[in-house]
Amino acid sequence: MKELILQLKNNIIQVLNLEDLTPADIDNDAPLFGEGLGLDSIDALELIVMMEKEYGIKLKNPAEGKEIFKSINVMAQYISDHRTK
Amino acid sequence: MSEPILITGMGIVSAIGLNTAETAAALRTGRTGIRPLRYLHTAHSEFPVGEVQLSTDEMARRLGIPDGQPRTRTALMGMMALDQAIHQARLTAADIARAAFVSGTTVGGMDMSEQYYIDFLTNDLHNAYIAQHDCGACTESIADYAGSFASVSTLSTACSSAANAIVNGANVLSSGLHEIAVVGGSESLTKFHLNGFNSLMILDREACRPFDQTRAGLNLGEGAAYLVLETAASARRRGAKPLAVLEGYANACDAFHQTASSPDGQGAYLAMQQALADAHLSPADIDYVNAHGTATPNNDVSESQALKRLFGNNLPPVSSTKAFTGHTTSSSGSIEAVICLLALQQQFLPLNLGWQHQMPDGITPVTNSTPQRPLRHVLCNSFGFGGNDTSLVLGSFSAPPAEEATEVPALSGSALGHAKSEVYVAAATQISIQQGLSEAWMDTPILYDEPYVRSLDIDFKQWIAPSASRRMGKLLKRALSTSLSAMQSSGIAHPDAIITGTGLGCIENTELLLAHLCTEGEENCKPTPFMQSTHNTISSLIGISTHSHGYNATYAHKDASFDCALEDAWLQLQLGRVHTALVGGHDELTPTYFSLLCKAGYLGHPGQVAGESAVSIMFNTTPTPDALCRITRFERCYRPTTATLLQLATEVGPVDAVMTAVNPADIPVSAAPAAADLSHPSPLLEVATLFPDTPLLQFKNIFGESYTAYGLAIYATAHILHRQHVPKAMLIPDHGQPAALGRILVLNQSGGKDYTFTVLERYIHNS
Repeated sequence: MKELILQLKNNIIQVLNLEDLTPADIDNDAPLFGEGLGLDSIDALELIVMMEKEYGIKLKNPAEGKEIFKSINVMAQYISDHRTK
Repeated sequence: MSEPILITGMGIVSAIGLNTAETAAALRTGRTGIRPLRYLHTAHSEFPVGEVQLSTDEMARRLGIPDGQPRTRTALMGMMALDQAIHQARLTAADIARAAFVSGTTVGGMDMSEQYYIDFLTNDLHNAYIAQHDCGACTESIADYAGSFASVSTLSTACSSAANAIVNGANVLSSGLHEIAVVGGSESLTKFHLNGFNSLMILDREACRPFDQTRAGLNLGEGAAYLVLETAASARRRGAKPLAVLEGYANACDAFHQTASSPDGQGAYLAMQQALADAHLSPADIDYVNAHGTATPNNDVSESQALKRLFGNNLPPVSSTKAFTGHTTSSSGSIEAVICLLALQQQFLPLNLGWQHQMPDGITPVTNSTPQRPLRHVLCNSFGFGGNDTSLVLGSFSAPPAEEATEVPALSGSALGHAKSEVYVAAATQISIQQGLSEAWMDTPILYDEPYVRSLDIDFKQWIAPSASRRMGKLLKRALSTSLSAMQSSGIAHPDAIITGTGLGCIENTELLLAHLCTEGEENCKPTPFMQSTHNTISSLIGISTHSHGYNATYAHKDASFDCALEDAWLQLQLGRVHTALVGGHDELTPTYFSLLCKAGYLGHPGQVAGESAVSIMFNTTPTPDALCRITRFERCYRPTTATLLQLATEVGPVDAVMTAVNPADIPVSAAPAAADLSHPSPLLEVATLFPDTPLLQFKNIFGESYTAYGLAIYATAHILHRQHVPKAMLIPDHGQPAALGRILVLNQSGGKDYTFTVLERYIHNS
């Protein structure tokens, strides 16, 4: 899980162009949207593309993302439960 | 609005019909045009669409376009609709020659670009289509099919493009510039934007259901529609029968998000409210609203809120006709305007197909097509990406005016475009191949030998926070920085209008998505490149970043893109519709696109320096002590005859110098002006003939070649007049040196067919 979390953080930094951040700057339990990292709805769509490309997880409804992208820990758990690659 | 603007012709092509009769029949019988995909080649067969039921070849055959001539679907549909509008209005060749043509598109020639992109990069089989990619090329093809228009412009504000073309055409008439304007838009389906909308997750796999609780997104459609707008005087003279009246119009910026509408629909509310005020009508006068109603969860809530706020408990019948046509994006504004005109003429309410379940927070749309009261005034909404919101008020011709229109005097010398309100340049700044946000080029210009130079970027962090800039490409950062700098220098934080000219928009993003589609296929397309490939993403970003809710528009008309934007600002400033306007010219040039434009013959000429431009100029009507200069004259013309050009040159009158757009390669090292022959002149010789004994200046040796280089010419001339100094490098050998710097004509000659004359005059503030 630790390895997945680090890889996930690096993916997020790269996909969302968070060039001023390092994985250590992202709190595993902090919210990704609104407060915390301050991501927005376009970031959510970018994360949906990333989930499919990197982990083979297809989300059909952007609303599903709301639950899954709550924090790094929630996201990593979802990926490890549902990944197909 | 002052003088009534009549509509004397209309034409339409969409999924529900190839003319007005078929369209009206489909609307009245509830026959949808949403079907499984048939003509567009895409892997996404799961999405139903509203396709025009003809193949591209069938369209070309109907129009008599010979095989082998480059054709794009957007241009062909445009020709079909334009032809109908011109026939109905019975415009003759002479009428067309005095009419403006304003057309909206975002897709342009993308249907062929996405087919041939790999060929563009690797061989010479389809080079003719490189030039066809541009929105402006598409507009010119449509215009040239009909005849020889006086001027041609391309609006590109995504899904509100055609509505804004109508707005611009109305301003052209109100200002007295022309008496006829043919306006509308055309847009074909493409794999590019189908995948783009899919990446935003707003496409429904079923037939769309606007304003229904179960709605799950939009269906894309395609089509074209044009209206002939005409002054009452011209219609009377021609004996043309008015179909209806354009009673009012407004555009406002939601200033909220690049792809989503604000929850309270602020932009939509402002657009509707201002359009009603423009028409001197109150909400109770509106008998029907054709909503934007895309059937995305977001739009329909936002638009419902705006409608409820404007109309309160007295909501007139409202429907979205997108379940008939699909969302025809850039052409939806004129397609739905034609639908409104048919409703007015035939007195029916277009149905809101697919509606069954009430949204708890939404409006209840039309369910019965028989109106309860006569339709006299209808409101038509078109909203685009970036919160670009436009509303039009259309009325029956027989409708008595609600109240006496306030008298706005016509411009003197009408057709010649003399200034009414005075227009000043309050601030002008640039980031280009010269030092950015600086006038260092006036003393120490950098002169390049290379054929292609990238912009000299500044440290953007002083203008844009890193968190805000992480999704922005370089062009967006340049455009926003120059805009903020011009706002700061002029002390105008929220201009009444933000108007951008861009030939290609953020072409870096367009390339990313095209390359993805052509090499990796239609899976995993990212939303950001699509969103930023839309031409109006630049103007929207400026509006969103500065919370400016005013007029917001974008023109994408090749190397006259800035010229179109400046014309829009000039008309509205003179009319008093706006008092401050930020006009930008923003284009980037990637290595890939440089090589493509070389293949297309635009770039790569010896001595030419291809560059990039981000130029922002703030105009106002009340001069400040720091004003750089004023504009005293502005003219554009398309494919003018030699006689027209010579006449314009005489009217513009004596000037102290002419700033020319000539390519340094076309300037002989030393040669006296030859005999006047305008049949095949070199661009320089042409100017020398038009303005004999006038010193000529150049700027492209300093600022390079770009689609919006004309903006840099205006910027440079404003500073030359202000500082009363011309850099030596701008003088053209054997063409004199200005003895005084009072009035300078800035002349654009794009492609030898589109000409722009702007006269800038020195301004000295009397305190």
